[in-house]
Amino acid sequence: MNLKPTIGIETHIELNTNTKMFCRCKVVDTEEPNISLCPTCIGLPGALPVPNEKAIRYITLLALATGCAITKKGMFHRKNYFYPDLPKNYQISQFDLPVGENGKLEIVIDNEKDYVEIERVHMEEDTGKSSHEGTGRIDSATSTSLDFNRSGVPLVEIVTKPVIQSSKVAVAYIEELRQLAIDLDISEGKLEKGNLRFDANISVAPSESDELGTKVEIKNMNSLRSLERAIDYEIKRQSSAIENGESIIQETRHWDESKETTTSMRSKEGSADYRYFSDPDLPNMVLSDEFVNQVKDSLPPLPHENRNKLVETGLDLSDANVLSKSEKWILELYFEVFDNTKDSKATFNWITGELQGQMRKLEIKSLPEWFSPAFLSDVIKLIDENKISFTSGKVILEELIQKDTTPDDVAKKLDLYQENDESAISEIVNEVIKDNQDIVERIKNGEDKLVGFMVGQIIKSSGGSINPGIAKEILSKELNL
Amino acid sequence: MSEKFDITNIAKLASISLSDDEKQKLSSDLSVILDHVQALSNLELDTNIEDVYIHPLEKELVLDQDVEKPSLTHDEALSNAPKASDGKFIVPPSLE
Ligand SMILES: [Zn+2]
Repeated sequence: MNLKPTIGIETHIELNTNTKMFCRCKVVDTEEPNISLCPTCIGLPGALPVPNEKAIRYITLLALATGCAITKKGMFHRKNYFYPDLPKNYQISQFDLPVGENGKLEIVIDNEKDYVEIERVHMEEDTGKSSHEGTGRIDSATSTSLDFNRSGVPLVEIVTKPVIQSSKVAVAYIEELRQLAIDLDISEGKLEKGNLRFDANISVAPSESDELGTKVEIKNMNSLRSLERAIDYEIKRQSSAIENGESIIQETRHWDESKETTTSMRSKEGSADYRYFSDPDLPNMVLSDEFVNQVKDSLPPLPHENRNKLVETGLDLSDANVLSKSEKWILELYFEVFDNTKDSKATFNWITGELQGQMRKLEIKSLPEWFSPAFLSDVIKLIDENKISFTSGKVILEELIQKDTTPDDVAKKLDLYQENDESAISEIVNEVIKDNQDIVERIKNGEDKLVGFMVGQIIKSSGGSINPGIAKEILSKELNL
Repeated sequence: MSEKFDITNIAKLASISLSDDEKQKLSSDLSVILDHVQALSNLELDTNIEDVYIHPLEKELVLDQDVEKPSLTHDEALSNAPKASDGKFIVPPSLE
């Protein structure tokens, strides 16, 4: 049986506002528990929620950047369930009138553009953090302890349509969404800190079927790697169940990182069980045209726009994608260096390969302030013009990262400039020919590979100052090859 | 048990325990309420939900600036906790 998987992803993005969604408690990043609380975010009776204007601005940015239609008259709903990390016994969320609907996000797969359709973008609040105390195993916990610092932090949920076909596309989608949040400056976007969290709905159905199979929700994937592996595992599990004639149960499963399997958590509540109803404390949220236009005007360049600009410089889409997901200074550096060199591939390779590689080796996160983009373009140009070797270029770059100097100073100090005066090079070449008459004889008798040996000798006697290509060229001329 | 709803499930979702007598009484009460509300489904409504969506409050939502305001101290926040330890609220074990 030919089977096809279908995946939908729900992503939660924690916004980087100063204060919480419905109260003005500061959003804190600390291990110290319960230090930023008020009656609203710990659910004391009588406390009233007041939404954060900046959070609404941020979600509108995200909804516009994903091409969603903005709901002009929206509203907040209560999603009811009992869990101790939710002190009100309901989460303020949105139901049928989310901030944004029907958008799409461009991603890059194998040097090609692809799109993931977005169903909705809605605003809600985060829960507190619970931890279970006891003797090891989670089901033998003796008590649950609660820290409500995170309770009420603004969360945006982005739900895709069930249109994703593989774990590869799912990973590319999350990478793109993360970059978008960072470029919009609405979230830190750090997966390891839980700023961005995702669940996947996976189903498998016969390829020719128009209907989707029974969907299973996978939770607890904390990294892109676990997202990829959990999806692959779940597709395999469901496919073999279907092939064996077993039926798939609609449920929530938990990704177990150490066992690399998914295990059943509990049967999934239907949405009716959350008993959504409009929050009587929060009237209709009207987003005026003026507000939406103002937000639209403040949109920064988006990742896909950066990619288009990069492709215009001559890069292929997959390299452009790498740069569009780099830190902002790297992107800026690329354009500045490219402006001077007009060599997109060399600029890309030097930045993403040598420069970032050396910075990793030296364990530095940003370039020293003396490091001018012109240094990098100078190095690339010196190599292009055969004035220094590629290896010398690397040496110069390493010096530039560590010392306040210039490419020219380093090249002079370390004697890295190559001899380009043809008569001077010819002199050295003839010297080497004279000293190696036997080799020359063998080359003339057809032992071509000895040319390389001769080139090596020439470079050696020049003290490394001759470019190998030029040495070979002059040698061939002198020997009439 | 009414055909329209499952009173046991509703009690479970509301996290309350009901005796059989209470279930029976609440079932009939709820049935009456549902029948009453049922009248609404006879109304012909505009298909554009944004225009017809009516919140109990006619006011528009007022948003607040993203500026920190003083809140409870750590001790005040924990003062109503049935139990606290290491600065955290402690509650009976609760697992998903
Ligand atoms: Zn608060």
